Amino acid sequence: MERTVEVVPEAGLHARPASKFVQTANTFDAEVTVGRAGDEKLVAGNSMLSVTGLNVEHGESVRIVAEGPDAAAALDALAELLSTPVEDEGGEDG
Amino acid sequence: MTDLSGVGSTPLSGVGTARWYRPGTLELPDRPDPGSVDPEAERARFEEARDEARAGIERAREQAADRVGEDEAAVFEAHAQFLDDPQLVGDIEDAIAEETTAEHAVADRFADAIEQFEAMDGRMAERADDLRDVRDRLLRALLDVDIIDLADLPAGTVLLAERLTPSDTAGLDPDAVAAVATVTGGRTSHAAIIARSLAIPAVVGVGEALHDVPEGAAVLVDGEAGRVVVDPTDDQRAGAGGVDAPVVEGRVSTADGREIEVAANVGSRAELDPASARGADGVGLFRTEFLFLDREGPPDEDEQYEAVTAALSAFPDDRVVVRTLDVGGDKSVPYFDTPEETNPFLGQRGIRLSLAAHGNLFETQLRALLRAGAGEDGDGLAVMFPLVSQVEEVEAALARVESVAAGLASEGVDHAVPQMGAMVETPAATDVADALAERLDFLSIGTNDLTQYVMAADRENDAVADCHDPLHPAVLRAIDRTVSAAEGTDAWVGMCGEMAGDPALTELLVGLGLDELSMSAVTVLAVKERVTGTDTAEARELADAALACETREEVRVVLGLE
Repeated sequence: MERTVEVVPEAGLHARPASKFVQTANTFDAEVTVGRAGDEKLVAGNSMLSVTGLNVEHGESVRIVAEGPDAAAALDALAELLSTPVEDEGGEDG
Repeated sequence: MTDLSGVGSTPLSGVGTARWYRPGTLELPDRPDPGSVDPEAERARFEEARDEARAGIERAREQAADRVGEDEAAVFEAHAQFLDDPQLVGDIEDAIAEETTAEHAVADRFADAIEQFEAMDGRMAERADDLRDVRDRLLRALLDVDIIDLADLPAGTVLLAERLTPSDTAGLDPDAVAAVATVTGGRTSHAAIIARSLAIPAVVGVGEALHDVPEGAAVLVDGEAGRVVVDPTDDQRAGAGGVDAPVVEGRVSTADGREIEVAANVGSRAELDPASARGADGVGLFRTEFLFLDREGPPDEDEQYEAVTAALSAFPDDRVVVRTLDVGGDKSVPYFDTPEETNPFLGQRGIRLSLAAHGNLFETQLRALLRAGAGEDGDGLAVMFPLVSQVEEVEAALARVESVAAGLASEGVDHAVPQMGAMVETPAATDVADALAERLDFLSIGTNDLTQYVMAADRENDAVADCHDPLHPAVLRAIDRTVSAAEGTDAWVGMCGEMAGDPALTELLVGLGLDELSMSAVTVLAVKERVTGTDTAEARELADAALACETREEVRVVLGLE
């Protein structure tokens, strides 16, 4: 199964959001791949190098594909992560 | 005993064991014949190196979290992920299986990834730096090159280096580093200023001869005399470091009763308590850049609020002058993504950057400041804008302050508008200082940049160091114009450049009419002592004589420095 979501964090799919993405992908029993929306190429979601290497900026959309027992839960978690502006809320706009 | 001379940049002495910091000198051995490589052994070496690197990254993460904050620590989480990246690790293991040595497999695979990242735009170049950092950790482990982790040096280290960057220096632990000496650099370079704020004895610009100091040698660094002594005698050692300096607490006045505030320049939270312990009358320059540098994104409002509140509570009875974000020039913030400037010192620096776009950067900082102004010790808060060159900038900045205050009021958030001021560090600002003083509560003269701009001399360039001297008559007259322009207004005038901390110039500065002097905390005592011995009328005569000089040499003679 798969889902396409817009990358909301200001940093894009870099830095902390990328780091969180990889960490989250690794916690599920599912094989996660990710690519730029509309692009056939998918890379391993458990690889910081590959995910960062997509060079996806804030406002672009990505396609997340998950296979395995936890695929649905993995997609939910990853989609939510990419739809949240700042992952450690506290102040209003940082 | 070898005796080397350089420029003393922190006027303190320290003695300890020489440790060289040589980043980027990792040389790979020649590639052995494929037949002679044992893949099993190489694989084990790679695993060991990864364990060592992982431990080093974790230590760095903990230290960053401890000293600066969880946000800065996050970069090391990314490093740990690169280290355990299944693609990278898989490729390296494949190469090892094909009889490549571990170090060459690591170097090759990382080189590909770095090249790939650098070929992309924007933030990817920074990620390439992260990859380099991880690669170097692995290679140092594989090649058995001693890792000098600047944040984790053993006590009694005298750190020797070709040069140190501001972030290298900011990461030093003042309890562990007895002293610093560098081959290059000048007294007003940012690294030197940071060392001074951390009260780490330092001599910079020693030259190539420093390279002859062997690793592990006993070294004395005398920041007052600008000397580096290898194998010092017992007498020399006894004179260095470890002596608790006396402190003059409270405000001081000249012999004839004019009070002069002697405050400290502070560039991080860690410097607040030492500044207070050294008897500073508050903070005359609280640099907020440390909150913004070396991280992935700007600090949020609460983090800034907490930092300012911490400064205010460290000096509950004194004033804390916070400078709004001053980046640009040689201090760049990667996540601003500012276009490359051909002449960054004349570019979008200081208040210019804050007033330009960049999201809510300025508003967020102002919100944090206005909230801090309403806190328990908030009465002492003052805020100043850096690199002002036009009245319009001050008016625009004050309008932003008003609108932020109105916003906070409508949200029902406690806030107070603090004293507002401007830094005078451009010739333009000295010439419109009267108009600035009418609109503001105070002016603070930043002599490092003012000298650079009046004399058109780069403060980081040793070749024009003679030109970059605040004792040139042109600079003294610019200071005098500023102080005179504020006379007759309610605005007070301070000075927060390095000049303010030179006790040999205290009488001159009192004579020029400054109300406040702010400096590295290490010089507070010496300047306070000079203030109490100064007579205002005599000081004014001295200042007039200096202002009448035509050359720097004449000024130095008048001041008794020649």
